[in-house]
Amino acid sequence: MINFTFDGTHYEAREGDTLAAALLRNGVGLVGRSFKYHRPRGIMAAGVEEPNALVTVGEGGRAEPNTRATDVIVYDGLVARSQNRWPSLGFDVGAVIGLFSKALPAGFYYKTFFGPAKLWLVYEWLIRRAAGLGNAPTEADPDRYSQRAGFCDVLVIGAGRSGLNAALEAAEAGQRVILVEQDHVLGGKLLRDDHDLGEDWIAKTTERIRAAGGVVLTRTTGSGYWEHDLVTLTQRVAEPGQVPENGTAQRLWHVRAGRVILATGCIERPIAFAHNDRPGVMLSGAVRTYVRRYGVVPGKRVVIATNNDDAYATADALRDAGAEVVAILDARPAPAGAELARGLPLFNQAVPLSVKGARHTLRSVEADVAGQPQRFDADLIAVSGGFTPVVHLHMQAGGTLDFDAEAQAFVAANSRQNVTTIGSAANPLRYTSSPLAGEERVGLATQEPSNSWRGETTPPLPLRLGDTSPSLAPSPARGEGHRRPNPKKSFIDFQNDVTLADIDLAWAEGYRSVEHLKRYTTLGMATDQGKTSNMAALARLAEQQGVTIPDAGLTTFRPPYTPVTMGLLAGRNHRDAGAHLRRLALWDVHQAAKPIWQSAGYWMRPRAYPRAGEDLGTAARREAQSVRSAVGMTDVSTLAKFEVSGPDAARLLEMICATSVAKLAVGRGRYTFMLREDGLVCDDGTVWRLGENRYLLTSSTGGADRMATMLSFVRQVLHPELRVSVVNVQEHYAGIAVAGPKAKAVLEALTGEEPPRHMSVAPAQIANVPVLLLAASYSGERAFEVYAEATQAEAVWEACAGEVAAQGGCTYGLETMEILRIEKGHVVVGGEVDGRCSPQDLGLAGMLNKAGGYIGAAGLTRPALSAPGRLQLVGLESLGGPIPEGSMLMAAKGLEAQGHVTAAAYRVMEGTPIALALLKDGAKRHGDELTASSQTRGQHARVRVVAPHFYDHEGARYRD
Amino acid sequence: MKGRAIVIDVIITPLPAAPLHAFEIWSNLQAVAARFKAAKGFPLPAMGQSAGHDGLTLIRFEPTVWLVEGDPEGLEAVLDENGALTAVGGGIVRVRLSGPGWRRLLMEGGVFDAENPAFAPGYAASTVIDHVNIRLHVESADACIAYVPTSYAHDMLHFWNAALSAA
Repeated sequence: MINFTFDGTHYEAREGDTLAAALLRNGVGLVGRSFKYHRPRGIMAAGVEEPNALVTVGEGGRAEPNTRATDVIVYDGLVARSQNRWPSLGFDVGAVIGLFSKALPAGFYYKTFFGPAKLWLVYEWLIRRAAGLGNAPTEADPDRYSQRAGFCDVLVIGAGRSGLNAALEAAEAGQRVILVEQDHVLGGKLLRDDHDLGEDWIAKTTERIRAAGGVVLTRTTGSGYWEHDLVTLTQRVAEPGQVPENGTAQRLWHVRAGRVILATGCIERPIAFAHNDRPGVMLSGAVRTYVRRYGVVPGKRVVIATNNDDAYATADALRDAGAEVVAILDARPAPAGAELARGLPLFNQAVPLSVKGARHTLRSVEADVAGQPQRFDADLIAVSGGFTPVVHLHMQAGGTLDFDAEAQAFVAANSRQNVTTIGSAANPLRYTSSPLAGEERVGLATQEPSNSWRGETTPPLPLRLGDTSPSLAPSPARGEGHRRPNPKKSFIDFQNDVTLADIDLAWAEGYRSVEHLKRYTTLGMATDQGKTSNMAALARLAEQQGVTIPDAGLTTFRPPYTPVTMGLLAGRNHRDAGAHLRRLALWDVHQAAKPIWQSAGYWMRPRAYPRAGEDLGTAARREAQSVRSAVGMTDVSTLAKFEVSGPDAARLLEMICATSVAKLAVGRGRYTFMLREDGLVCDDGTVWRLGENRYLLTSSTGGADRMATMLSFVRQVLHPELRVSVVNVQEHYAGIAVAGPKAKAVLEALTGEEPPRHMSVAPAQIANVPVLLLAASYSGERAFEVYAEATQAEAVWEACAGEVAAQGGCTYGLETMEILRIEKGHVVVGGEVDGRCSPQDLGLAGMLNKAGGYIGAAGLTRPALSAPGRLQLVGLESLGGPIPEGSMLMAAKGLEAQGHVTAAAYRVMEGTPIALALLKDGAKRHGDELTASSQTRGQHARVRVVAPHFYDHEGARYRD
Repeated sequence: MKGRAIVIDVIITPLPAAPLHAFEIWSNLQAVAARFKAAKGFPLPAMGQSAGHDGLTLIRFEPTVWLVEGDPEGLEAVLDENGALTAVGGGIVRVRLSGPGWRRLLMEGGVFDAENPAFAPGYAASTVIDHVNIRLHVESADACIAYVPTSYAHDMLHFWNAALSAA
């Protein structure tokens, strides 16, 4: 036996039990409370369609709320808790809400929008407190999730008899096959209605599939069908709340299939009658499953209510198991069911009207039998309102549906993808216990359609909810005098507490579209997505409209078919927001210095290197002052870098760069920037002529991938005729910037040579490693960028660090880099270069290539780019206190915003606050005084508009 | 693979840094190919394939670009005015995945059908594994070399080892 607990009570289960089966085995009928009215709920189904028995399974960060008890295989130590109740499941104070149900009909919360706005805050608080089921855990999920690709010729979803046959046929025809089953064992309903095939046939068939190379995945659900026959499968490696044996709890498969076979079966429909949500009201097929598969008899005295033949097999199963079948209520007129009843009390033209009970158990069933009221003492009612094919994946694939009037159900029709629906999912009438079910071949070799088989069963009655009957399957022959159930207590959507009356109310209030009705009533939402309720609601809506069900419309099935854990979508890196970190080549070197790390896109970069007792601010200020007064060095490896080679390299670069390139002498470099086709600045960097036909182009870290795409587009699409090679060497070279008045001395000491003058490039050797020295300044000081092959960069860094220290300098991080560039007035992509600024806006117009020809040149001529009122780059000096970053600029607090602060810092040596900003017509407004106001930070400062350069306007400090 | 049990038998070995170059041809492909064969004794490999001899291997990952592994001496002369040779070795970490389960391991986080037998020794592919751009070269029936961007190498090794430990 297997031990588990439910609400703290210890129980025992048998191997293979679902939690639902185990609870029933232990006599637990009350499992949860409903979403809205806190009504007591039990177990209704035996599969993933279960709307009532939602529990929280597991503990701590591994807890999984809203788990269907029918979809958890019990394991030793399983801990389950009921939800949405206080203080206990049996005595739930929240049930008092049910007393006010008249005030809480469909769409009641929309009506709370009317009236004083302040009252809505009260309503919202109340609704949020009252609504909901399980609580998401607040602790981190300790489990891992994996994602895996799968490829096959044939993907078969559903391993009932039809699915097994299809997989076997395909596998033995030599095709790559993946067979998927959401249960933990194969066989589907064969496990219940085996037709003398039994587990031996299932085992042998499975073995043949595997022997032929087929892959069989259990506890795996086809959850999404996407374009190009891409199907996502969610595989439970461990059960909900279970500690995974090897860490991985679930796996998300991305399967690309040549052909998809859907053998997904049917879902049984409930019947609407008063209090049909009570514990003790179950689906007929589910009752049979518990009896035959699990050996659990959910009731001793049972009423069966049906509109089809299938429920008679449930009656047989119950009788065989020793239960008393009190009555079979068949909505169809005689002689329907006569041959199947086998001596059991059969009542034709009979439908349940209501059930009564006490202490969360069922006591009796009130029925209308041929117009006469009748009462049956019973502790269980097994209902069957017909069968709804599982067409979700077919619809997700873009397939259309036909309405099968005989089966009263939507069935798969055409699809633009290579998908075929077979078995009872294609023909729900065959769901009934016909021994021929699943016999047909799929026609994999010939691609022939396969859903032409028709069973020899008595069809169910039309799905109407007319005024003559409360049932989903009323008798059309019944006349006056029949009683009706109370629609206010007749539930259609059990998970959302939607009743027949709610549907009627929505109709009365003008909701005609099924899509509107769904959203107004919340029908078909939440974890079950209306698996048991959609058809009933459509029938009611059609009835109100006086049209057929297909004319009433159908909502769209969207992925996922069953709930998917968020961690599974993130995959193995769910703790890092689904993305790998990019490490610098010098990661270990930095890590040894214990920096404060900062994420920059996917990169992790040192933000500052604090010494003992320093925080970020003091460390950054010390580093910045070191650069201004002596020398500093920092890692700039993440900059985008492209080697552009060939006779047409300059031509290509003159299209990419908005500045001129062709006249650049060998050994020289230039600041440059790039435009989008609309003329707005998208990136900036430098271009260096390394040789006659060889250039190095650098651009921003954050724009690296975009620049690679832009270069590739120009090279391959716009001008494939160019004789040029563009190679992304961003990671090939590690980069070290050495900046400060003593930078030149550092480089001289390291190379033994005169370093290149400003904006020149030269090869050199540092620590016996070949390097490129680029004399460029981002800090406003004399500076060099040292590029070495990443695999040898550590030796270069160590040599530089030693010499920088000898010159009284230090390493610095991103924070200091930002302070220095703000003081100097350099723009940064993502800050001032925000995708809305033209070169004119940023003060770069004077550098544009007058010959034109670059990308964006035409866009620049648009009048809008030179119209008044554009945001333009300015500097700000504080008139008192720090300038809040991101704050809005306005004449005074509360007035219209005229711009915003893009970056704020302080003068490195003086410490006075400064900032860069984008301000309307800013270039003409130097001297204006404004208020920089950040409502979110609650910070404000008066500022004066100045030129966007706070340091060394002439550039004297970095020129030789 | 049986049910939920997935067994992967792979040894993951980062290889030491080696010279790697991008060998790009922009014109006169046939003439360059002829010069290459004359100089190196084997033809330039076709798209998605590799060829090598005497410590030099070329893998064609792109229509006009080959990844050169080994000593590139003489290749610039082969290209002449028809292409360029660019060092890229600092940006790539080579990882050997050896053992019977390497194909299955590559399906983890992948989008490429590494289990297809047509992806045989001598074949190559550019793909994405767990959002990282990676190039693959089937070295033998029991081994595949993955060319991983340097910045992602640490995380990819962790990713693959975690996949193995969770198998």
